[in-house]
Amino acid sequence: MIIAITATGNSLDEQVDPRFGRAKYICIHDTENGTNKFVDTGDIASLPGGAGPKMAQKIIGEGTGVLITGNGPGNNAHGVITRAGIKVYAGAQNYTIKDALAAFENGELEEF
Amino acid sequence: MKEIVVVSGKGGTGKTSITAALAFLSSEAITLADCDVDAANLHLLFGVKYDEGEEFYSGQLAKIDQNKCKSCGRCKAVCHFDAITESEGQYFISQIDCEGCGYCARICPQTAINMNDNMAGKLYDSTTRFHTPMVHARLGIAAENSGKLVAKVKEKAREVAVKNKSDYILVDGSPGIGCPVVSSLSGADYVLIVTEPTVSGIHDLERVYEVVKQFDLEAGVVINKNDLNISKSKEIKEYLQKNKVELLASFPWHQEFSESLALGKIVGEKENSTLKPILIKLWEKIKESI
Repeated sequence: MIIAITATGNSLDEQVDPRFGRAKYICIHDTENGTNKFVDTGDIASLPGGAGPKMAQKIIGEGTGVLITGNGPGNNAHGVITRAGIKVYAGAQNYTIKDALAAFENGELEEF
Repeated sequence: MKEIVVVSGKGGTGKTSITAALAFLSSEAITLADCDVDAANLHLLFGVKYDEGEEFYSGQLAKIDQNKCKSCGRCKAVCHFDAITESEGQYFISQIDCEGCGYCARICPQTAINMNDNMAGKLYDSTTRFHTPMVHARLGIAAENSGKLVAKVKEKAREVAVKNKSDYILVDGSPGIGCPVVSSLSGADYVLIVTEPTVSGIHDLERVYEVVKQFDLEAGVVINKNDLNISKSKEIKEYLQKNKVELLASFPWHQEFSESLALGKIVGEKENSTLKPILIKLWEKIKESI
């Protein structure tokens, strides 16, 4: 399964980005083989509007099954994400990426 | 450092007046951020002047290279925004009407149309007459506020707040419930909603609260001009109770609001201010709620 996490930087020690649409990076974690890929989403952050739905499109394209983020996603993006069957775990902005993944595995994150 | 965002949905409820008063009366170190960029006026109350600023680009605008244009007129035919005009065989794109969709540039057989980044306005990192750091922006003619600009103001405010070791970032949020509001709320620790007992006040309170809920954020409400309509005020209180939202304070309608505004002063600034004690109590309550 693919877990997408909004990230403020491109390493596992960086904080989870509270923003969904305008997150700096997205970390794509593959639970099958434990790999992590950081995607620079600066192009989405620089859109004047509609960043949320665009980011939703991005993570769907990555084959995401679970999304971990902070305050997100707004109504438009949320509609896209839930229709794609992605489970959303919000409120993780105080974790680093590494800790957020561990918290998810231990069932400490709450489904939004 | 905690971030408090003040929103209202409806305009004219007293959102900016209350934001300014809280920043002025608090004894903590505050950094102010004005995300109500469309109708920014927090800077007026704080006596902040626009200085050089940092240019801010958002979206694109189309421009015709007259040296390459063969005046076929296909751009004018496809423009959905009537932004292209013809005068004596030459075509021009109005930089105010252009929405930056890029259709004309795409179909131009001469590739004579360029899409240029649009300088939407400027971003300012200022200091108020009370030496409070404040981040704000000013839009150019026909430019509109955007989620991107709000994100930029907030990002800059965070930088400034860290540098100044602020305890709180106080954000005057964008009106409405659209993209700029979504962007205002992202990353907040607490949301203060300012409402008033009118039909549109309640309507917009409900709408903006739906957005706040979507973000899973802690929120509290202030009813301003509480005695303007007692039955509507009761309706708000019932709504808050039903949704388990804390009512932080009710302000009476008070001349001090309009008087202060007329003088370019902050509510609570004048000597023997009637509202000052309620405002200080409100600030204490907000701090406890975070």
